[in-house]
Amino acid sequence: MLKSDGMRYNMNIRYEIRRKEHLFRQVPWKGEEQEALKAPFSNYLTEIAPGLKALIASLGEHYEYVSALSTDSRGFMVRVSKHAKSVNGRTMTTERGTVIRVMRGGLYSEYAFNEFDPLEAIGKAGEIRAALDRQLALMDACGVDIYKTGPLEDEPLELFAEMETGTLPEETDFDELIRQLTEVSKAASGAGEHVIDCHVVAQSTHISKLFLTKNRDLRQSYVYSEASVMPIGAKDGRNEMAFSGISGRKGPELFEELPALVERNVRKVGEMLDAKRVEPGEYEIITTPGVSGLIAHEAFGHGVEMDMFVKGRALGADYIGKRVGSDLVTMHEGAACAVNVTSYAFDDEGTLAGDVTEIDRGILKNGICDALAAKRLGTAPTGNGKRENFEHKVYTRMTNTLFDSGSSSLDEMIASISHGYLLDGSQSGMEDPKHWGIQCMVQRGYEIVDGKLSGKVVAPVCLTGYVPDLLGSISMVSTDREVFGNGGCGKGHKEWVKVADGGPYLKARARLG
Amino acid sequence: MNLTQLTELVKASGADAWQITQVLREGMEFYFIRQALDQNRFVETNHTTVRLFKELDGGQAIGSASEEIPPTASKEEAQELLASLLGRASYASNPYYTLNAPAEPVSASGQKAPDVAQVAKTFLETMRSIPASDEACLNSYEIFANVKTVRLLNSRGVDLTAVYPDSMLEVVVNANRGEKEIELYRISRMGSCDAAELKRSLAETMRIGQDRLRAQPMPKLGNIPVLFTSADVKELAGFFISRMSASFKKRGYSDWEIGKPLFDGKMQTPLSLETKLFLPNSSCNRFFDEEGALRRDAVLIRAGVPECFLGDRQFSCYLGLENSFQPGNYTLSGGTESEEALRTGDYLEAVEFSDFQTDALSGSLGGEIRLAYWHHDGITTPVTGGSISASMLENAASMRMSKELRQYDNMEVPAAIRLENVSVTGIE
Repeated sequence: MLKSDGMRYNMNIRYEIRRKEHLFRQVPWKGEEQEALKAPFSNYLTEIAPGLKALIASLGEHYEYVSALSTDSRGFMVRVSKHAKSVNGRTMTTERGTVIRVMRGGLYSEYAFNEFDPLEAIGKAGEIRAALDRQLALMDACGVDIYKTGPLEDEPLELFAEMETGTLPEETDFDELIRQLTEVSKAASGAGEHVIDCHVVAQSTHISKLFLTKNRDLRQSYVYSEASVMPIGAKDGRNEMAFSGISGRKGPELFEELPALVERNVRKVGEMLDAKRVEPGEYEIITTPGVSGLIAHEAFGHGVEMDMFVKGRALGADYIGKRVGSDLVTMHEGAACAVNVTSYAFDDEGTLAGDVTEIDRGILKNGICDALAAKRLGTAPTGNGKRENFEHKVYTRMTNTLFDSGSSSLDEMIASISHGYLLDGSQSGMEDPKHWGIQCMVQRGYEIVDGKLSGKVVAPVCLTGYVPDLLGSISMVSTDREVFGNGGCGKGHKEWVKVADGGPYLKARARLG
Repeated sequence: MNLTQLTELVKASGADAWQITQVLREGMEFYFIRQALDQNRFVETNHTTVRLFKELDGGQAIGSASEEIPPTASKEEAQELLASLLGRASYASNPYYTLNAPAEPVSASGQKAPDVAQVAKTFLETMRSIPASDEACLNSYEIFANVKTVRLLNSRGVDLTAVYPDSMLEVVVNANRGEKEIELYRISRMGSCDAAELKRSLAETMRIGQDRLRAQPMPKLGNIPVLFTSADVKELAGFFISRMSASFKKRGYSDWEIGKPLFDGKMQTPLSLETKLFLPNSSCNRFFDEEGALRRDAVLIRAGVPECFLGDRQFSCYLGLENSFQPGNYTLSGGTESEEALRTGDYLEAVEFSDFQTDALSGSLGGEIRLAYWHHDGITTPVTGGSISASMLENAASMRMSKELRQYDNMEVPAAIRLENVSVTGIE
């Protein structure tokens, strides 16, 4: 129901977008044929690669394992609202720098830097050794024990992946883009008397990464973009904001889809301003694909990050092969299992992208793992070793985390509920991998009474529960599925990385408050 | 390319105004599993960001765009980036405003540069001295010792430099009772390592862990008073801080007015909100903000009455605010009762959430409870599970704060805040 409204609006503005086609170079209109554009690999990384190889060779004389990850990712973020416009060259993933990982005597150490002259590689190797030796001396003085780990695999591997994109962020016409975003903001601000502002944010990043060891040379480049529309309403001293986003491993041509979000989002703000608080209790619920994605992410995303197994911080380690959900629950995780903002060819440790079946018809099958944790656990890495950026350590992190589709329709699901809520608008979540408690903040809930939407809206909604209970209660799954990549994910309360998640509509039981 | 060379390129870029911010970071990081070193890391980076401004519409408007210029950029690459920036700036048209002008700093020079190795060593020694027992131990911890040197220059002559420690510690504590084990997560930002405070807070965390082990399922309590006595008090303070920001006011998200008592003067505790140039061991003790405005002590709300809005340069200019800045440290105070006096009748004391949040825009607050104490008929019972929800718009007037204050990094807040009529969802 919500979708059909959005598509109708999309059709209305299509002509308007068509006229602006020149904004995004090399974007074929439907039916037109054009050679696919590829995101070019960074010239800078190509130029420093020989120097990095010399650096690795020099360090290799002193360490049992040496790798280098170099990044050169540029992009932009444009923000438009009623009172301000800004253009920033920084997104969550823009960076240029290098991190060296070394291992000696079972101790893994890293040195991150962003000033490097490839002609002075040997000198840099000396600097790195001296800096790490200073740290070692400090640790010795404090009597620190080492968690010893063997050398990582370094089988020969070469890869050069330039992925397709419609356009490149560096070729964006900002005059047109800002004009388009301003129109979207104005359209939302003028669409309802209660709307006092509308933030529109568009960002696009051209990623280039180079991973080198003695035996590996992996290079990849791709573009991802995301955008959001956030109308803000005020009524009787109360403010509310609705959020809708679009994302994809695409260029700025993605932003053509933004106007379609306006009408739906403005209506949602109006509903939230008149919303009541939910009567706390346990209800039958239906989650929209965005909320399903949030549950997937929190439930068996964090819960099976295997670096947490190493620390004894995750209950999932004891549940491999056991039931954690109903027969209708199948869940996948991996950079290769969907195409969205974090669908890379290899991770930040040089492991190729994977597609892990985490839950198969309710049975927990596998976790996800970075290379170092895999070494410690005696298993294979799954391509989930990610850094916030080159300055940060690798952890096991999510990429695309998705529930599989089922066989029900949304109408059938609504019709099956005597009293419950359709939950829409994921806001934030938190999970406790040690105890499988889950918290999902949801923007609003639409009441269902006797198999129909009653028109009553509650907001905000805090969904809580015990993960196996929640997944075990899933009794219907819709045929469709959506993936969302507008969010960021922290490990605890830091280490922010891009992730995508999603799924179909799910019917379950949960506590709401 | 060094800063001097880049500055010359910026001056020659054709921009009508500009700002350059250079952040040099020297960091030592140590990651532990139990008390064994998992990894060590050394970070040495130079991030220089340029923001170019272009006057538009005959000086009625101004646009800006910013980008990091990598230290590895060649002269040609830097010039190309600056040209692109200037083009972008000309499309982001905003009502005209000016950059900050130079002013005499309270403490501009003479700062002794902290030694990152010494900061790291104090962390290491302190954490290794934390005792483990059969009932509680450190599961893992991560030390981030950083010293930052920030230099900010702009086209009006601002040239400021600050060197300061900006550290962080993440700790996971396990508490055990027989076969049952739970964990507690703590993350703290701070200037450098305050060993005594660290030991005190970890001992408190271990005590809380023991209470959580014997916690009962949260009963269905309905609407009751809730007492906040942990770092979550910062979230409540954040509601007032956001509503006193220049951008919130200009955008219409805050309807608070200078001189007009909050909540029609019906606040049970007429609170005060101040900014502080320095708080002991805060990670935000830099004397200038992100745009080169000098920070100082200032009163935002005095005894329940807004006194001044503060914020970034753009929105401060739009509101006509003089000497405005983006604060680093805050103090929320005004409580006249002791923490003990707030502990009356039946109430829930919430000390541990999954993720407690207050939405400054809507005023909604809530979170899933991992540990609370249900004080009922003189008996205290640790409880877990369920969630709380309320609205600051509806609850702030009846809010009561302790006169005792407690500091969490850059915020000094009441040790306890009590909200009446909070909805509590139980699981029993």
